[in-house]
Amino acid sequence: MNREEKFRALAGIEDRFIAESIRYAPEDAVCPSERIAHMKKKRVITFALAAVLILSLGIAAYAAGFFSMNRRVPEKSETFRINWEENPSGYIDWSNAKLAVTFPETAESREIEFRPGWLPFTLPSTLAGSSPWENLDADTWFRRLTAEQLPLSGSPAFVPEYEGMSQPLLIESYSMSQFSNGGALLLLYFTPGEIVEEHWDEPDVDVMRFHCTQHFDAVPEYNMPERTLGQNILLLSNADAGWVIRICGEISMDELIRVAKNLEIRETGRVLTCDDFENHFCFFDGGVG
Amino acid sequence: MTHLEDSRIIDLFFVRSEQAIEELDKKHGAAVRKTAANILADRRDVEECANDTYLGCWNEMPPQRPDPLISFVCRIARNLAVSRLRRETAAKRNAGFDLVLDEMEDFLPSRINVEADYETKELVSAVNRFLSGLDYDDRFLFVRRYWFADSVKDIADAMHSRENRVSVRLFRLRGKLRNMLKKEGFSV
Repeated sequence: MNREEKFRALAGIEDRFIAESIRYAPEDAVCPSERIAHMKKKRVITFALAAVLILSLGIAAYAAGFFSMNRRVPEKSETFRINWEENPSGYIDWSNAKLAVTFPETAESREIEFRPGWLPFTLPSTLAGSSPWENLDADTWFRRLTAEQLPLSGSPAFVPEYEGMSQPLLIESYSMSQFSNGGALLLLYFTPGEIVEEHWDEPDVDVMRFHCTQHFDAVPEYNMPERTLGQNILLLSNADAGWVIRICGEISMDELIRVAKNLEIRETGRVLTCDDFENHFCFFDGGVG
Repeated sequence: MTHLEDSRIIDLFFVRSEQAIEELDKKHGAAVRKTAANILADRRDVEECANDTYLGCWNEMPPQRPDPLISFVCRIARNLAVSRLRRETAAKRNAGFDLVLDEMEDFLPSRINVEADYETKELVSAVNRFLSGLDYDDRFLFVRRYWFADSVKDIADAMHSRENRVSVRLFRLRGKLRNMLKKEGFSV
């Protein structure tokens, strides 16, 4: 037998090993079952140690009060029934969501509105046709505030340093009661980086914040280079009142934090229950919902 | 460039659309040519090997619906490239391929009869078990070197590592596999 025949003999290496070696991608590697078996004993010890750690952290968390946001990365195949106007049914089953944030089961949420005490740009006094920007004054309170007109050079509110951005800043309030019965706040397109969870005493909120990105391959026929979009997201939640505020955009995380710390929040007096919402999923990133 | 999903390409083969080959070439052509070029020296041979690979795909699909498609096409390309070598002169051999074959002498059984299905299956099954026990980086190294016949430099570049480091790891992997095969009764 010659050496080429020996080389040919190795043709039978399993498909999974060939496929995972097409390009170097350790993050996509599928751990073979035999290796899992080999690691089982090691994992039992790891799990036991982790359980002790989680228990002690749990006791500490209980003493300090529970964190009111839970997060998980859904399985790629897991589907969420979300609003989709283009479909005759008005819905679409969306899979491959990048992050799902859930909240404590809340029967009633107190509706809130907010007013920014600090913004990295000057709030225009009027912006015709762009409710709720119309006839703004110091007494204007919002449930949703968007700055998407600021990067547009033709807009009266144009801010040159935001040119090229699609959404410098968005602030939106939610009710935890919307996410009862298995609902979640979803990140559909962007992939989150490291997620920071903390508690702020002023305002008294749990905070989750992260940077996230979405990569696009180059499309030479349209002269579009390869590019990666990024945005920062900051969630504030108050489990006692049952509200959540999302502050996000392409401005820096430091600026978002400053916006959040200076946000005035007040209750409208209205109480919202699960039945007030047709859909129990909402979205971090645009294009949907 | 946007590519069709593999399942859509396979659908095109099933409806006997020649567009299937165009889409397959657009998406996986680079991997097919790289696989052949690691074994064959002549660019025209590589191109012919790629065309033969697509013809092989045309003949296999249907009835086959391979998943993953990429390993299926690379497997055909690899087999065709080695077959072509057997028919051609040594001058048509990629010089780097000889080094890969030399290294394989380190761990492949000396007296295995590849024409005997049973012995080949036993060997391949042992190698697959060996790969199962490795971490991803070592599996990547082994498969790229001894299945794709990549150069050490290409592997080092892909892993953002140094050639020397890759060579040392390959040396250790060969030793590890040789010992395992010996324990399993192969005469290495």
